[in-house]
Amino acid sequence: MMARLSAPLALALAALAYFIPAVSGGAPVVYAACTTIAILAVMAYGADLILSYLGEVSLGHTIFWATGGYAASMLAVNYGWNGWATAAAAIVAAVVLACVLGLVTLRTREFVFSLVTYAAAVVAMEVAFNWSFLGGSDGIVGVPPLVLTIFGWGVSGAANTDLWPIAWLLLMATLLFIHRFRRSRLGTSALMVQMNPDLATALGVDARRVRLAVFVTSAPISALAGWLYAYQRAYVGPDMFESYFLVLMLTAIVIIGRRLLLGPLIGTALIIVQQTFFSIGGDGDKIILGAVLAAILLLWPKGLIGLWDVAARRLRSSA
Amino acid sequence: MTRISFGRRRFAVGAAAGVAGLAMPAIAQNEPIKVGVIVPLSGPAGPNGQVVAGAVKVAAELLNAKGGVLGRKLVVIAKDDESTPAVGVTRANEMVAEKVAVVIEGWNSPVTLAMQPVLARADILDITAVSKADPILSGQGNPMAVRINSSNGQDGAVCAEILLNKLGAKRIGFLTQNDAYGNGAQQVIEAELAKIGKPWEKVVVEQFPFKQTDFRVSLANVKQAKPDAVVAINAAESSGMPALIQQYRQAGIEGTFVAAVGTILPTVFRIAGEATTGIVSADIYFPDLPPFDKIKENLEFVEAYRKAHNEAPDKGAALGAAALEVWASAAAAAKSLDRKTVAGAIRGGKVPGTILGDLSFAANGQAQHKHTIFKVVDGKTAKIEAVT
Repeated sequence: MMARLSAPLALALAALAYFIPAVSGGAPVVYAACTTIAILAVMAYGADLILSYLGEVSLGHTIFWATGGYAASMLAVNYGWNGWATAAAAIVAAVVLACVLGLVTLRTREFVFSLVTYAAAVVAMEVAFNWSFLGGSDGIVGVPPLVLTIFGWGVSGAANTDLWPIAWLLLMATLLFIHRFRRSRLGTSALMVQMNPDLATALGVDARRVRLAVFVTSAPISALAGWLYAYQRAYVGPDMFESYFLVLMLTAIVIIGRRLLLGPLIGTALIIVQQTFFSIGGDGDKIILGAVLAAILLLWPKGLIGLWDVAARRLRSSA
Repeated sequence: MTRISFGRRRFAVGAAAGVAGLAMPAIAQNEPIKVGVIVPLSGPAGPNGQVVAGAVKVAAELLNAKGGVLGRKLVVIAKDDESTPAVGVTRANEMVAEKVAVVIEGWNSPVTLAMQPVLARADILDITAVSKADPILSGQGNPMAVRINSSNGQDGAVCAEILLNKLGAKRIGFLTQNDAYGNGAQQVIEAELAKIGKPWEKVVVEQFPFKQTDFRVSLANVKQAKPDAVVAINAAESSGMPALIQQYRQAGIEGTFVAAVGTILPTVFRIAGEATTGIVSADIYFPDLPPFDKIKENLEFVEAYRKAHNEAPDKGAALGAAALEVWASAAAAAKSLDRKTVAGAIRGGKVPGTILGDLSFAANGQAQHKHTIFKVVDGKTAKIEAVT
């Protein structure tokens, strides 16, 4: 859909998005919700790269999300590194971990791939829980406000109003990256490997190499989301591996429909807005989320966008 | 010289604005004070969190009946943290938006640790009712932290006293919840055991996550180790702890079941019943036992709580109510709602007239308590007796 939009329109939409919290009243809770949506959407885009373009379900992307969080918090708290340095460290750490996990899962497909990535996430969580170097079960307390300066100009702050411009920039950069990825050689090769592996092989595409490259590309995206989340929350603990985030990222991708540029963002926004402004209690929220997910997977496996297709077909046939 | 003249209409508008201006502080004065409560209201710890929130509401009604705080009524807003740090942070942000004067929070330590910076940055007084992890009072997340529940340090000393001096145990096992609360508690108990100086041996350690309810594999290992006593550290008093007790009895383990301080709540008796007979533990609050049966504020609270909830308040309820009373008493004494002023009046000071009596606080914000060691003599009727 976005592909058809011209660049100026996309830019205008991006600029408009920046003013959403201000236009919605500018209350701290609105800034908090928007910043959280931006961060969690970027987290979901990491997993989206695997789900939408490799056709695999990674249950291990909480590892990269947490890696970003731990890198930021440990280096900022223990060594006083600034935001640029912690972001670079988050990217490096995520790429290294993704190379290892990517190589291990290189030969696995579908169910086995999901299972191995899940097992890796469980192992990583146990390590974080029990290793005092990573703060153990207490986690890392007292993450300082984020400081990002460039040529003397910069942003710093800990409040959501301060973090919103950074979250917005990160989200826009991610969207641009995903947009470029879809048109890149790697993106098209990944789709070909998923849709028609025989054709891909015949055309000389090395499926394993493509899978590894996509996996390694996806990791820093989730890690950068975790990096910003550490500053937003000022506390990082093993709960970053919890199923709350895993379920959120997968639901956000599936709910609207795979392979849609804005899908994970809209999905994340729907979930967080419901949980923040229309919550009916913890149990109720989970029932809603589960029921919506089940209904979508059963009725419109393509996601809510499938509804659009149905409506469009009806319109066409009636015309 | 410039002559200033007011037209009649302009004067009327000005006068109205002036009256409105004068009236503004009066409206603010009469506006109720919002009190936020963030605890788990769903999931495994949901029933316990509901008790805390219910108790804060009862205590607020009692305070309102006496004229409120600084002449203003209290309104309690309770929100569900779902025992999940990320959700707790969202709820804390909502409390900031609600402009509450104080937040009473905390059943799970990781959730408290995640919420502390949010509330501290928004300059909202944050009183931790229950969560026990030590970093909560380290000052990193919240330099003005206050905690009503006893600390792992205080509890560890009592637990060591039970194990070595009351039970004379030599072979000691641990069933420990694998998180900030559980591991911290075990560490302190071991340190306190070492301090007493009597010989003892750690024969088995089994760890489990907060939400676990099937402990049979762990208990088989415990049985094999033949411990004299087993310390169970499990904060899921509505699910995990009663399940652990029942499975402990089914496994036929002979060692005495020593429940970590403050974990034997009414929900445990209600679910585990008979299986709780013989458990030894300690706690800081009993609604009907001395010295609480002589404290006027406690008697009032117990009566009002029974009326509202048809049961006696448990320790969680007492901590929630005491948190509100501590804040109300300190705010009244300081004649202010300002976070630093009120926290300053609590930390390192003594707050009179709470349901726990006159409550002293250490300089780091930790309430000081006197523990009572007890043994369950009849689990069916929840009958306990003090161990002297």
